[in-house]
Amino acid sequence: MAIEKHAPQAVNPAMFCAGCGHGVLLRLIGECLEEYGVEKKTLVAIGVGCSCHLKTGINCDLIQSPHGRAAAVATGMRRAEPDMFVFTYQGDGDAYNIGIAETLNAAYRNENICVFTVNNTNFGMTGGQMSWCTMPGQKTTTSPSGRDISITGAPIKVPELIATSFAPAYVARGCVAGPKEINQLKGFIKNAFEAQLNHEGYSMVEVLSTCPTNWGMKPLQAQKHMLENVAPYYTIGEIKPRKGAN
Amino acid sequence: MGDMVKGNIAIAEAAVRAGIEVYAGYPITPSTETMEYLSARMPELGRTFIQSESELAAINIVMGVSACGRRVLTASSGPGISLKQEGISYMQQLNLPAVILNVVRWGNGLGSLDASQTDYLRETRGGGNGDYRNIVLAPSTVQEGVDLIYEAFDIAEKYRTIVVVMTDSGLGQMMEPCEYPDFREITKCSWGLDGSYSVKRGNFLGRDIQAESDAYITKVREIRENEQRWFAAGLEDAECVFVAAGMPGRVMEGLIEEMRAEGNKVGLIRPIIVWPYPDKAFAELRAMNPNVKGFITVETNGEGQMIEDVALYAKKNGFGMVPCYAITQACGVPKDDMVKEAFAKIVRGEKKEVF
Amino acid sequence: MREIVFAGFGGQGILTAGLIISQIALYSGNNATWMPAYGAAMRGGTANCTVHYGEGKVSNPGQQKPDLLLAMNEPSYKKFQGIVRPGGIILYNSDMIGELPPTKEGVTAVGVPCNTLADEVGNPKGANIAMVGAICKLLGDFEYQAGIDGMNDMFRKKGKNKYEALNVKAFEAGYNYVG
Repeated sequence: MAIEKHAPQAVNPAMFCAGCGHGVLLRLIGECLEEYGVEKKTLVAIGVGCSCHLKTGINCDLIQSPHGRAAAVATGMRRAEPDMFVFTYQGDGDAYNIGIAETLNAAYRNENICVFTVNNTNFGMTGGQMSWCTMPGQKTTTSPSGRDISITGAPIKVPELIATSFAPAYVARGCVAGPKEINQLKGFIKNAFEAQLNHEGYSMVEVLSTCPTNWGMKPLQAQKHMLENVAPYYTIGEIKPRKGAN
Repeated sequence: MGDMVKGNIAIAEAAVRAGIEVYAGYPITPSTETMEYLSARMPELGRTFIQSESELAAINIVMGVSACGRRVLTASSGPGISLKQEGISYMQQLNLPAVILNVVRWGNGLGSLDASQTDYLRETRGGGNGDYRNIVLAPSTVQEGVDLIYEAFDIAEKYRTIVVVMTDSGLGQMMEPCEYPDFREITKCSWGLDGSYSVKRGNFLGRDIQAESDAYITKVREIRENEQRWFAAGLEDAECVFVAAGMPGRVMEGLIEEMRAEGNKVGLIRPIIVWPYPDKAFAELRAMNPNVKGFITVETNGEGQMIEDVALYAKKNGFGMVPCYAITQACGVPKDDMVKEAFAKIVRGEKKEVF
Repeated sequence: MREIVFAGFGGQGILTAGLIISQIALYSGNNATWMPAYGAAMRGGTANCTVHYGEGKVSNPGQQKPDLLLAMNEPSYKKFQGIVRPGGIILYNSDMIGELPPTKEGVTAVGVPCNTLADEVGNPKGANIAMVGAICKLLGDFEYQAGIDGMNDMFRKKGKNKYEALNVKAFEAGYNYVG
């Protein structure tokens, strides 16, 4: 029997750069919104940065939050509308630099929301500045000689921080690369959806992504770089599995 | 007549009766009684109370609730209100209503806990980045605070704007008898997000900024036209018109009676809403009394802030050459004697006008 | 319009004394305001509040020229005795203020050993209430029974009427002491 695939109606082709991982993640979220039947009862809080492309990229009620505050905005949405599906979509600079307080405190309160963060190791939208996820030695427009972690601190692992410090329902880190990684990521996203829909509490899925434009690489080269150099530091897998799940 | 109630608590209860479904805030003296009270009161009614990690988070939670078309309150003072400016500016851009209680405390930075009007200019000029004004209500008694915050949510929703209720630590901490209005039925605003994506977003790269600005200005003009509110006394024959709001306003209500009884031709304009400023009060004054020789504000701040509005609206309404003076006391409740002595100096020509 | 300033150490029941007087005033059909001086310390620091009451609106709730100053300790006496209006009264706690500092001309000083009185009626925490009784008597604005009823009404509404009988005794002791 032939399997018929259709593009999810909840998302549109967005204006991400060629080879960027955002589009794949957005597609996976769109698929899950349909599969769980929540595409007409979803509220989204996005950040500032490349995530703002969701304004055209997703057909859901959405607020573009002030830089870093998406988890707080989502908290308000969650408390105002207990029956809706609520998620945030942010980059690493947004969620982990300027928004680390709001990100951690939403996890701390165990808000029943899904938090999706795209870790592409820099501030992409504004032209590739150093973020807290920038790799040691990585050149950005604000670390032109390569990131010197003796001055800046080392790359931050927020999912691990949340998984070990608080009591979230689910924390995982996936990766947008080949089909294997993407299928694995889809599984993580489904767990995050289910955690919220089952009222288990807070979930975070961090998604390692390429940023060919700001990394100064071609898409395939960027993917290779991500798998060989970034993924070993930011371990892929479930960091805090759901209770009762295998 | 009701029992003695603290301003901060009375205003919180009035907001509950106005139908707030969520309160989010961070404690700071002298506004904290409001959130302490709501921390028990909201769950009692099956509503939501959130002690957030910061003022930034609080105002962004407020944004999330407001986006869903639900009534929501946050309260703070001094540096806490400064932190909220980011969210307020965003909410104004998104046309999201909310009511914010600013129990003003004196000063810059940490400042002090004293009652003051040092935030006047910030509140009436917007406060965050951008081109917007918040509607600013300035109650002078606990009962007026109750009545105004109850109405503030209607005003906020009517124009989809931020309404600031500006009290001070004096009105917040003092007790006075007051009566509460009835409970309002809780409803969700029709435009509130419901997940159905019924209102489509435009392409943000193709924005028409001039059109957005024009639409906002249309709204601002409507607010200016409809929402001026003030109390006036003794204007018919006043040679000197006092202008005072909030705590100094109530002081002057009593004091001008005393001063008039002592033979002074003085009157009072007490703005109840300080933005939009009561332009019409000055227009009516101009029409009824051509003999005004001076305007005097009474304010609790350094060299007067509201004096700037008085000078602007005096000029606009044909009082261009009439001098405007400010009688100020940095903090606390203005003392009757202090005001009278400063007034005597003005009359003797010993105190220079500001404008 | 009356103005009373209540002052003492934090923990001496200063703010409550002011509140009782304001509630008695309301109970008797007056208007009233109560305004605390706000300090950062919860206990042990100085505390004071100002109460105004009378017919009609209270326009200025602040501290101006009180008709009566209640000074529960010496620092309060020294700090506030100068603002009492001519013809006014300083009611002071003679258990804690021994040698009386000079008062302003035209101001009467009345000492009441309120801690002793409260101890004697078996209500050692009721020194502030004894002073409330004394204030009612000295100013003559409220009849004895109106004072008792207004005070009891306040504590009943707060659900704190357990000590009603003891509070009445303390009130009575202060009221009669200055009678």
